[in-house]
Amino acid sequence: MLKRNMIKNFSWPLKTATREIEITRLYPEVMMELPAAERGIHELDATTCIGCASCARICPNSCIEMVHFKFGNPLKNKKMQFPQIDYGRCMFCGLCVDECPVECLTMGKKVTMAGWERKDIVKSPDFLATKRFSDKEVKDLEAEAKRIAAEKAAAKKAAAKDGAAKEGAAKKPTKEGASVAEKKKPEAKAKPEEGSAASETKKEESKAEPKEGGAS
Amino acid sequence: MINASEVLSSIQSAFPGAVLDSRVESDRRLWATIDSEKILDVCKHLSTKLNFDHYSGAAGVDWIARNEMEVVEIMASHGAHQVVAMLKVKTPRENPSVRSLTGLYWNANWYEREIWEMFGINFEGHPEQYPLLLSDELMGAWPWRKDYKGYPDLTTGERAIQITTPEGYMELHVPPTPAEVEAGTVVKERPKYPSFREREEKEIKSDAEMIMHLGPQHAMVPGPFLLDILVEGERVKKAFLDLGYIHKGIEKIMENRSWLQGITYTDRMCYVASLSNNECYCGAVEKILGLEVPLRAQYIRVILEELSRIQSHLIGTGEFLTLVAGVGYAPWQYMIMDREKIISLIESVTGARLTHTFVRFGGVRNDLPEGFAEQCRKVLPFMKSRTEEFIELFAQDPIYSLRMENIGSIAPDTAKRMGCSGRVLRAAGVAYDMRKEDPILVYPDLDFKVVTGTRGDSADRIDVTLREILESIHIIEQCLDKIPSGPIKTEAKIPKKVPAGEAYYRVEDPRGEMGMYVISDGGDKPYRVKVRGPFYATFQTLTPLLEGVYIADAVAIAGSMDGCPSEADR
Repeated sequence: MLKRNMIKNFSWPLKTATREIEITRLYPEVMMELPAAERGIHELDATTCIGCASCARICPNSCIEMVHFKFGNPLKNKKMQFPQIDYGRCMFCGLCVDECPVECLTMGKKVTMAGWERKDIVKSPDFLATKRFSDKEVKDLEAEAKRIAAEKAAAKKAAAKDGAAKEGAAKKPTKEGASVAEKKKPEAKAKPEEGSAASETKKEESKAEPKEGGAS
Repeated sequence: MINASEVLSSIQSAFPGAVLDSRVESDRRLWATIDSEKILDVCKHLSTKLNFDHYSGAAGVDWIARNEMEVVEIMASHGAHQVVAMLKVKTPRENPSVRSLTGLYWNANWYEREIWEMFGINFEGHPEQYPLLLSDELMGAWPWRKDYKGYPDLTTGERAIQITTPEGYMELHVPPTPAEVEAGTVVKERPKYPSFREREEKEIKSDAEMIMHLGPQHAMVPGPFLLDILVEGERVKKAFLDLGYIHKGIEKIMENRSWLQGITYTDRMCYVASLSNNECYCGAVEKILGLEVPLRAQYIRVILEELSRIQSHLIGTGEFLTLVAGVGYAPWQYMIMDREKIISLIESVTGARLTHTFVRFGGVRNDLPEGFAEQCRKVLPFMKSRTEEFIELFAQDPIYSLRMENIGSIAPDTAKRMGCSGRVLRAAGVAYDMRKEDPILVYPDLDFKVVTGTRGDSADRIDVTLREILESIHIIEQCLDKIPSGPIKTEAKIPKKVPAGEAYYRVEDPRGEMGMYVISDGGDKPYRVKVRGPFYATFQTLTPLLEGVYIADAVAIAGSMDGCPSEADR
């Protein structure tokens, strides 16, 4: 009895040896199939990122640093910064992805990140950004930003002139009157700005079309 | 079956004036502040009259604003009723001292030692108040007090210089400043305690006895711990356990992280049971916040926790077999091959293989992907047939049964008294399972039974483990049938600052009873998180179990407990 049982048990591995087994042993040649929910290296959508640094604040290991990145949207903020991630410290918890208010940070299926030096695994937004503005788009946007700034400055000057004229006119009345004049100012400012922005976009479109036509 | 308010009235009638402050949270939770003079009598009353035979742990809290310290004794019962009594004892911050409960409950020993070395609360009548987790040079610094500044003291860290001790070790020394010398606030010599070595060498009585080291490193044990056995010939006379090789101070780290960040640290306490740890922490915070978890999220949590239990049991059994058989990695490989399928299932939902960070306050992170149920229904029958095969193999193998039966067996009463939980307790025949005792999520709606053994020996522990896998598969199958559609996160907004309050939450970890005691003071960080880990309790029972066994069995007994020193050293 004892012998028969033992033979049964010893034969069991032979039975299992013939089975086909899925394991990760093929790794460098064949990557394992990863699920859609995989939390790998981050993917940054630089066109929608607003540079709020929510990800940097929630990170338990403080491995996210906000740095300057050329290919972002210059329309939003000149000093806008983008996340740079130190994968030497990152533990792929995914809290940064959950916190992102515009859902521009996601985690992809890329998981290999070995490097020869410590600085190799500090990935800049240039590496992380899967979606970004092209060089041309950035130039256009920068030009637009400049124009907007110029318009703003012009509007400000005009407003200041208007204000000065009004103030000059309204110097005589008491303090209450002055405050009324001050309140009026922002309204006066806002109107020309809106108008200029609308006209600008129109101009841009009209400009962009002939350019493309010329190229083709 | 009595409830919390009846327990409270019983204490009040037996000891008038002993209860200073009380709160009945629900039928199962009682919070009471007990007069420090009468805590021993109250505990004796609870244990003899009201069936509070399970001392679940103790937590120290440093209330620096109130200038007092608190020791919270957590008491429960092994199945007689479901009340958990949280008894608080207050003590002033200068020379804090509390009566020790080691005379009543054997397993209070380690919990009180931990509180003593972390907070400096003295326990009157404690038999062996020696360092357990901390290294000798940290003793006397009381690191978990709120005014601890780091080692070496961060305020004076720049002045620290390296000196050579008479024994030849390098040490950091902080010379006092003249101002400190004048004011008389120089840190005196830190108290010296007999070291682990000195304590164990004291036990050697004759030349025939010697000490053998098992550990701290072992190829098959996932974390380091030192097990020294005093042997005479082939027999173990006494065993000594030294912890703290990978002490991380997670409870203190979590006090310095925001509520949400804390979830990531619970993962790292024990990586094979990280979903249960997530659940325990999030459940406690949800209790303070008063959040309702949507039904679908509850089902997802149950499914994943049971899957996680299966993979944890498989890896535990594999480790045990490799420890016992010593035939290389063959048995380990069979378990790992099957575990791979379960891990892939979990990964397809959570996106990570081990440290999931999946459970959120009031919900879960991701919904189940498409085709998850089908994939599950493909894998689970395979797992079931495999596990049945394993059970059969273990049962019929004569060598295995000769080797393992009646090795390290525990009687039910002893197991209860020792305060162990999980497979060790259930193998002894005590049906004590948090999923039945303190039901959470949708466990009350599900049909499953608590697996118990009869002999309480190593073979029984493995048998219970394998049969629990079958129960888990049964639970998951029910969940897949019942799971409703709906939201996976609560619609209520989760505030950054959690309102002041406290909660104690228990879950059934793969290794046993896991409890977290979370206190909020209304800030954006927890005021205190106490983790009552399952293996910390089971570990304590290891040394008395080893007395009188053969050397070769010591490894088998330690392995059958499914150890995770990382969680004991949290």
